[in-house]
Amino acid sequence: MSRSFSLAKFIKTGSLLLAFMLTALILLFVNSIPVYAVTPAQLGGPSNAECLACHAQANEPILLPSGEPLFLRVDIPLFGNSVHGRNGVTCVTCHSDITGFPHPEVVATNLHDYRIGFIGVCAACHAEQVNATEDSIHGRLLGEGNPYAPSCADCHDPHTQPFVDEVNKAEFAQVCGQCHNGIYEQYAQSVHGKALIEENNEDVPGCIDCHGVHSISDPTTAEFRNSSIYLCADCHTDKEKMAKYGLSTNVLSSYVSDFHGTTVTLFEKTEPGQKTNTAVCYDCHGIHDILSVNDPERGLAIKENMLMACQKCHPDASANFPSSWLSHYMPDKDRFPLVYYVDLFYKILIPTVLGGMAIFILSDIFRRVRTSRQKPVLENVDHDESEQE
Amino acid sequence: MTEEQKKYMRFGVARRIEHLILILSFSTLALTGLIQKYALSDISLWLVSALGGITTVRIIHRVAATIFALEGAYHVIHLGYILYVQRKEASMIPTLKDATDALQFFLHNLGFRKEAPKMPRYNFTEKLEYLAMVWGFIAMGLTGFMLWNPIATTRILPGVVIPAAKAAHGLEAVLAVLAILLWHFYNVHIKHWNWAMICGTLTRKQMEEEHAEELEKMEQGNTWEEIDAKLYKKRMSIYMPFSIVASIALVAAVIYFITFEDTAITTIQPVHAEVEIYVPRTPTPFPTATPLPTMDPALANTWSSGIDAIFQKECSLCHGKNGGLSVKSYEQLLAGGDTGMVLIPGDPQASLLLSVAAPGNGHPGQFTADELARVFEWIRDGAKK
Repeated sequence: MSRSFSLAKFIKTGSLLLAFMLTALILLFVNSIPVYAVTPAQLGGPSNAECLACHAQANEPILLPSGEPLFLRVDIPLFGNSVHGRNGVTCVTCHSDITGFPHPEVVATNLHDYRIGFIGVCAACHAEQVNATEDSIHGRLLGEGNPYAPSCADCHDPHTQPFVDEVNKAEFAQVCGQCHNGIYEQYAQSVHGKALIEENNEDVPGCIDCHGVHSISDPTTAEFRNSSIYLCADCHTDKEKMAKYGLSTNVLSSYVSDFHGTTVTLFEKTEPGQKTNTAVCYDCHGIHDILSVNDPERGLAIKENMLMACQKCHPDASANFPSSWLSHYMPDKDRFPLVYYVDLFYKILIPTVLGGMAIFILSDIFRRVRTSRQKPVLENVDHDESEQE
Repeated sequence: MTEEQKKYMRFGVARRIEHLILILSFSTLALTGLIQKYALSDISLWLVSALGGITTVRIIHRVAATIFALEGAYHVIHLGYILYVQRKEASMIPTLKDATDALQFFLHNLGFRKEAPKMPRYNFTEKLEYLAMVWGFIAMGLTGFMLWNPIATTRILPGVVIPAAKAAHGLEAVLAVLAILLWHFYNVHIKHWNWAMICGTLTRKQMEEEHAEELEKMEQGNTWEEIDAKLYKKRMSIYMPFSIVASIALVAAVIYFITFEDTAITTIQPVHAEVEIYVPRTPTPFPTATPLPTMDPALANTWSSGIDAIFQKECSLCHGKNGGLSVKSYEQLLAGGDTGMVLIPGDPQASLLLSVAAPGNGHPGQFTADELARVFEWIRDGAKK
């Protein structure tokens, strides 16, 4: 009885183990498109269980000399569901300085420095992302010693970082909002932010759609300004996307054919490093606080609002000035008839004048060819006669 | 010198210099204007780069426009001299004869008329070009003013005038350039080379073909006569002050024209002026440390009135459920850990925890001297709950 019982227990345990291994194997293959470049190596040393024995319940942070708390607790369910947990990355893969107890002393005097110390650790597996970040505005500020510039762990908590595919646009925006909350709040009130945050509409741009992820460039440079029009145009010339919201897709072409757009495009193509004072999309429409053009407060379809937008760069502009911009429309008979008829007038005048001239010139050539071929001598005779007269 | 080789003076040096200024300013305007109209073609991009960028191109265009306008002003003043002082014929005014000349010449070209018409000092091809130039000067000047000074323009006129002026300015330029390339180049350079604007003269053959009527008049001696000195002096006394005032007025008008308004600000404000870039949220990813309650010394000597907080602060990081010893509760602490009891109520000397967690002992969690003293007293007084 007892023997059969232990056998049953053995089989049960064995099958569970098998099921677990199979699951692990499947997971290994399913998730075989990892972000990391190097397979995390198990270096030996303490197992996760050993670490978590204390760190799962280490509710009390230690205080760094700066007074900032360094939290030591690792939440087991969150870590287990994190990209590192699911990929079997052990604690000591990253915390490789820890080989037993007591742990080496924390030398960083503040949280910022403590996290910077781990950039190299991240780079061991995520070299591409770390390199891209080093060239970014964040990386540059970090290099300058800016105490607010983020390092890897400021955006990606390594103990809870989910799979990137499982993070939605709104959650990405939250990450940026941790440090850029002023901008986040502006964005949240914008036509894009409202759609994303309130309706979870992923058609609209979140932070990273315009700014990128690791290679975030300095948005105050001339290069960024001059090429920013294409950030907007990427979506706003997408027929499929714009049709959903009844928006025009000729916004770029109409802009480029106007003075502002021509100038900016020329700058972008011939001297991208030079700043121009001509307006790009965001000068009129706003940056993070873009509203619908029909918004009563600031929408540009309302003439008073448009005038205010113009006056940002043209302080002396008066009431008629805004209508010198064709509001992204192409002139036609009903809209802007004056422009349309001026255009039409010249489209008739030019071929008429040039055609008339060409006909006359052709007749002149015809005479010259004819007279030189048929009576080369006679012409001279004619001259002689006329002189004798 | 035979009749054939005889040269007929047509334009003086002043006229030829005027023409040269016109060539230079017109070509510069055409080049720097057309690359703005067709800005995105490869040739334009190359030329814009070569000329030092669009800002420079616009400056060049405006400098050329200023020269072009000053040349126009000079031409008008000089016209006053020709017409008022010299009393020459206004030979550029189109007449009915020009229309019949054009028709007859056309028929002659086609072979329907044997004789070519005898044409005056300025024939219909030249009048057409001159008048087109005058029309272009006015049209380009007006629309150019509007584009140069859009704010001033829209104070009086509706805004849509600006894009209309832009369309007209560009298309008028296309017309002018193409007409020059076709009409002027053919008539002056291709059908035969005309030296009148370089050397000042035409050959007899060219005179016969293009200005037969003028040639006849010349040969009859029916040309413009020198006016006598007294009359000349009288006319000049009226013309000179008038022309000086007009010159000053026209030059002032041109300067006024080109410095009329500051259309836009030259430096844009930094884009992020509206909000601060770095505005952190309060970070609350984990529960923050609970502050230690302020001790009342009389009450502090029991587990629940302060001693628990010391253990929580110094030991609980490791000594929880899994740490071999738990300090989470009074009962668990008294029960001891893997190595047996850690404290013996009433006997601090024998209590293991006081020696292990004493300051400077190397244990990861250590009491401060103050905390050690309090725990010591608590154990000495019986380790009360």
